[in-house]
Amino acid sequence: MVNDLGSRTDAGRVRENNEDSFCIAPEINLFVLSDGMGGQASGEVASRLATETIVAYCREAQATPSSAMTGARIAGVSDNSNRLASAIRLANRAVHQAAEQTPEQRGMGATVVAIWLADQRMSLAHVGDSRAYRLRGETLEQLTQDHSFVADQVRRGSMTEQEAASSNLQNVLLRALGVDPEVQVDVDEHVLLEGDTILLCSDGLTHELSDAQIAGVLGDAEDAQDAADRLVDLANQAGGEDNITAVVVRHAAKPAGTFARVGRWLKGSEVQS
Amino acid sequence: MSKLVLKFENSVLKELSVGAKEVSIGRSPDNGLVIDNPAVSHYHARVFNEEGRLMLEDFGSMNGTFVNGQRVKMVTLKPGDSVGIGKHTIVVTDSREVRASSLDHDQSRPAAPKINETVMLDTKERRDFLQKVAAVGESAQVAPTRLKIPTLVVLEGRTDQREYVLNDKLTVIGKSAMATVKLRGWFAPKAAAQINRREDNSYYIGAADRTPTVNGNAVGHPTKLASGDIIEVAGVELEFIYRD
Repeated sequence: MVNDLGSRTDAGRVRENNEDSFCIAPEINLFVLSDGMGGQASGEVASRLATETIVAYCREAQATPSSAMTGARIAGVSDNSNRLASAIRLANRAVHQAAEQTPEQRGMGATVVAIWLADQRMSLAHVGDSRAYRLRGETLEQLTQDHSFVADQVRRGSMTEQEAASSNLQNVLLRALGVDPEVQVDVDEHVLLEGDTILLCSDGLTHELSDAQIAGVLGDAEDAQDAADRLVDLANQAGGEDNITAVVVRHAAKPAGTFARVGRWLKGSEVQS
Repeated sequence: MSKLVLKFENSVLKELSVGAKEVSIGRSPDNGLVIDNPAVSHYHARVFNEEGRLMLEDFGSMNGTFVNGQRVKMVTLKPGDSVGIGKHTIVVTDSREVRASSLDHDQSRPAAPKINETVMLDTKERRDFLQKVAAVGESAQVAPTRLKIPTLVVLEGRTDQREYVLNDKLTVIGKSAMATVKLRGWFAPKAAAQINRREDNSYYIGAADRTPTVNGNAVGHPTKLASGDIIEVAGVELEFIYRD
């Protein structure tokens, strides 16, 4: 499998700390992003602990298929999807325990969104309001549904999208890692087609940019790294009120082939002349 | 005497003096200072006088209490301090010198960065909420999903079976090895379309290599399937039904 990868994280223009983390394991096509919360530096601790635990577990599971699972098996999904859910449950415990044991880290937590690609199948799991998007052709699709108070209100029909977007309760989550000893993980699977671009991002990006802006950058960018850089820059220009993180994966990336390289070379020579 | 000024963004919501009696702060209506916001615990914190000093104590709240940007458990407050609870700010003033200028000054204090921080619903609050959510979800879904089996029936086209039960979260229609509904024929796409089961047990169909139609309408974005819907994609026609 050939993927074109890009990633960037930035504290934004208001916060001093960056509580977002991401961790990628290209050799097994695993990509994990987390947005931490909690006072002092504990948000950073939570998101880093979460992403590192998930990647370590999945690497281990890949190497040792008989390794133990955490929690009940989900019916009707692949082994990889079950592994990913297991890894997230484990990360939840790790964050929860760390929070219980260290007084300064009490109340810390984290969101997570993760994808694991195998052949044409993409396993997707998440908890909280960090999101996954897919650009296929010109159509951008949000693949995750936020576990937030306002998103839930919209799903129930008691709030409109517009009301949700301007609500002062946008930052209230219904689920997060580290809060309780157990967590419910949403798991999904999707077909992966050549040319599909997947974006994982924290809410610092989605609060600043519209779907049209995201689709525009993902569609126009030269490669995945260019897309990640431009998304973060654009979110900063729009205010950068929160930490911003983007992980971009372009599947079986045709655009990074000969044509794009020639294109870049031509552009480069234009600048020089 | 000290005074607490409750503010949300730039507007003052309430002012309250702290005398001999302590002021409890929280979401429950029986608090001295009520902040009606899910990010605030039922009994979040209290402010009280002790030996001439004004004290603030956090009751172990879920999302914390911040004084001038620092999370605190128990601290002495002084005029000018800015107490952050959820997205609200409580400014401490000496009631003899409440002036607009002093309030403006307080606003620039470093509690501000905390304002947009992500928070969780308080544990009890969340449990109640989730229970309510579960109750609503169940009652709303009894009819279509209980004891009924989501099935695709092939009406037309070349496939490997006449009927498919949708057991998996992802059902692919195509020629690929991962496809459940296997298409035959030289020009059949690897993955023509996909059907996803969502967390609420509803089924959504979306485009892959082809754009399917449901009852004749092209599916641009994933579309929820209802019993009796007719799907056409890559030369096959399927009916989605819930079997008893």
